[in-house]
Amino acid sequence: MLSKILSASHFGLEPNLIEVEVNVFSKGFPGFNIIGLPNKSIEEAKERVKTAILNSDIEFPNQKIVVNLAPADIPKEGSLYDLPIAIGILASMGLVKLPIEKSFFYGELSLDGNLRHTKGVFLLGLAAKQKGIKSVFVPGESANEASVLSGIDVYPVKSLSELIAHLNGIKKIEKLKHTIHSSRYTDHEVVEFDFAEIIGQESAKRAMTIAAAGGHNIFLVGTPGAGKTMLARATAGILPPLNEEEALEVTKIYSVSGLIPAGEGLVRTRPFRTAHHTTSLIGLIGGGTNPHPGEISLAHNGVLFLDEFPEFSRGTLEALRQPLEDRKVSITRIAGSVNFPASFMLIAAANPCPCGYLGDLKRECKCTPRMVMNYQSRLSGPLMDRIDLHINVPSVDVNKLMNTKDSKNQKIQDSKQIREQVVKARNIQNKRFKGLPVYTNANMRNKHIKEFCNITKEANLLLKQAVNAYNLSARTYFRIIKVSQTIADLAESKIIEQNHVAEALQYRVRNE
Amino acid sequence: MDYKKYEIKKHGKYYYRGEWDDSLFKNSIAIVGSRQMTRYGEAVVDKFVSDFVLNNVITVSGFMYGVDTEVAKKTVEYGGKHIAVFGCGLNVIYPAENEKVYGQILENGGLVVSEYEPNAKPHLWKFPQRNKVVISLSSLGVLVIEAGHGSGSLVTAKLAIKAKKKVFAVPGPIISKVSVGCNDLIKNGDAKLVTSVSDIIHTKLKIKNEKLKIEYKSNTLEQKICGMIQNDPMEIDQIARKMELSIEEISTTLSIMGIKGLVTESGGKYYPVV
Repeated sequence: MLSKILSASHFGLEPNLIEVEVNVFSKGFPGFNIIGLPNKSIEEAKERVKTAILNSDIEFPNQKIVVNLAPADIPKEGSLYDLPIAIGILASMGLVKLPIEKSFFYGELSLDGNLRHTKGVFLLGLAAKQKGIKSVFVPGESANEASVLSGIDVYPVKSLSELIAHLNGIKKIEKLKHTIHSSRYTDHEVVEFDFAEIIGQESAKRAMTIAAAGGHNIFLVGTPGAGKTMLARATAGILPPLNEEEALEVTKIYSVSGLIPAGEGLVRTRPFRTAHHTTSLIGLIGGGTNPHPGEISLAHNGVLFLDEFPEFSRGTLEALRQPLEDRKVSITRIAGSVNFPASFMLIAAANPCPCGYLGDLKRECKCTPRMVMNYQSRLSGPLMDRIDLHINVPSVDVNKLMNTKDSKNQKIQDSKQIREQVVKARNIQNKRFKGLPVYTNANMRNKHIKEFCNITKEANLLLKQAVNAYNLSARTYFRIIKVSQTIADLAESKIIEQNHVAEALQYRVRNE
Repeated sequence: MDYKKYEIKKHGKYYYRGEWDDSLFKNSIAIVGSRQMTRYGEAVVDKFVSDFVLNNVITVSGFMYGVDTEVAKKTVEYGGKHIAVFGCGLNVIYPAENEKVYGQILENGGLVVSEYEPNAKPHLWKFPQRNKVVISLSSLGVLVIEAGHGSGSLVTAKLAIKAKKKVFAVPGPIISKVSVGCNDLIKNGDAKLVTSVSDIIHTKLKIKNEKLKIEYKSNTLEQKICGMIQNDPMEIDQIARKMELSIEEISTTLSIMGIKGLVTESGGKYYPVV
């Protein structure tokens, strides 16, 4: 007898409806075949499904079983077809009654008949909403991902036998309540450093605050041991929480990548991703035959920290240019073209020269001018031009660190206090850009700058003078306005005043 | 500014580009110094070269990076004539980033000189040899600006003493690594301590025209900052700490001072504009 089960896969972030057709019949030689361009992980589903059914105390039919994954011309991968295949077989044997309304079945089987946490359940939920499918049957540990979406019934399935009992009306599975706050994947973040632990570096801390508040890209240059890495890592602790739309976007990418831990739902923590300089271009940007998101997409709506920035290969760095500008990346492969969002805040850190001590008072720099030039020219002008804040992180004199008299005069803020300022500034931005696909000042396009930025005459005059004095490019001009807007937001000022612009000018690109 | 349009000619044992004129060497000074020039060295070069040019003294250098390149650049900038002595053939530009200066030297009526065949490659052993040429082309003597301990500039100074040329040295901070050599030369009596061009040419100096400065009204905070960084350039954090003001206020003020032309920034430190 033939039975048809609905499920969904995804290409990039777009869901694909997949129909799993299963036929079990007594004619022909006994066997078990899966067709419809399955890859190795699906081929192996045969053994998982067979053993899981046997371990659920059901006799596996000694008949000819054909499974077709339709449409047959799309290559398929992943373990998500285990459950639809198993249910299809059982339905063909007349052991379960399929639900009358259209339903999705999705998930990987364990040999004992239980269901495992499977990636991509959030996307399945989206597909169900899009295609008007009412109920979804997913592994219990992954069900929270789908329950953040309203309008669908999510059934958390623990084991195959539980599902059989439910379908046959013996014992119903309680469906999950729709809740956006189902997740515990929120507050227990571990941040390595607190800003209060970093002594000195007041200007760098201030720049970090501005960057976090406005989502601006920032470039830190300094001698080894000055505290660049510490500053960058501490930034994870001052990032504002994700707003609802942002959280849904992040959850989508994390779900596809299988980065949501079992039992968790909506991602509420702003992503903080770091990539080593040996990371491949595809690892960073995304790609593959069946395209997967890279680090820049995993850092969407969050932070991407690239330490030792000039050590990345030239190709990798230049590939960052387009996503930095467009806030998304399109990847084209034979199978098709995919867009991944990539609106991230870049924190890049570098030494001033190969030996690291250029301009240091205590140590002599061993590099020739040529070496310095080569090192610095690895970072191209257009790339540097896309970074809003450029700061110098000087090495701190140990004696000054210990001098309590000096540090007494300045109140040292801890991460919690700084975070409050950042959150306040973000809330102002959230209000400003309500209904627009823009969440931060850094994301503003020129038309948004014209629409939202209220700049006083004096401030504009100062900016014009600066453009002439420092030969600033048009892009830099707009970047300075964006940074000024964030500084104004931090000061809770409705207009951009002269002092805001003047401070923003401190963080411009220095060409020397 | 293509150097190639000047042909390579030969005068005695020297290959050269430009116009050879023996009167060029009547009033010439060799300037040698560290490859790792500091901001102090830069300021010294600027002070000396501007006065040399005004008083028609030709500068001679070894065309290496650091002080040598800076001397060549400044001489050209002030419109003076410069003689660059190569440690390689004249078709080879070493260091390569000096190509622009090469052309400018010739445009200003200066010379590039080498003992070697036009396509000879630079080698470490050729540089001391080149220094001898630098010395022999200078009539007034050798001026040492910033030389580290055991540096090539000191070797040149010793060669100059042997060749019975005068050696002058500009003292530097006693804690600066690149000034140890200079200070030692003075201490041992090998070089005469000089602080201005008048110590080298004993005639009455023509005085440098002060560039017209636009007067900006600076407020008290700006004056205070100017006073503070006058002798000791500082990072923004240090200034804020000393002034006991917030980073926001100090960076705002410094930006405006930068536009007014009161301060310049380099490598994170703020310097007064002189």
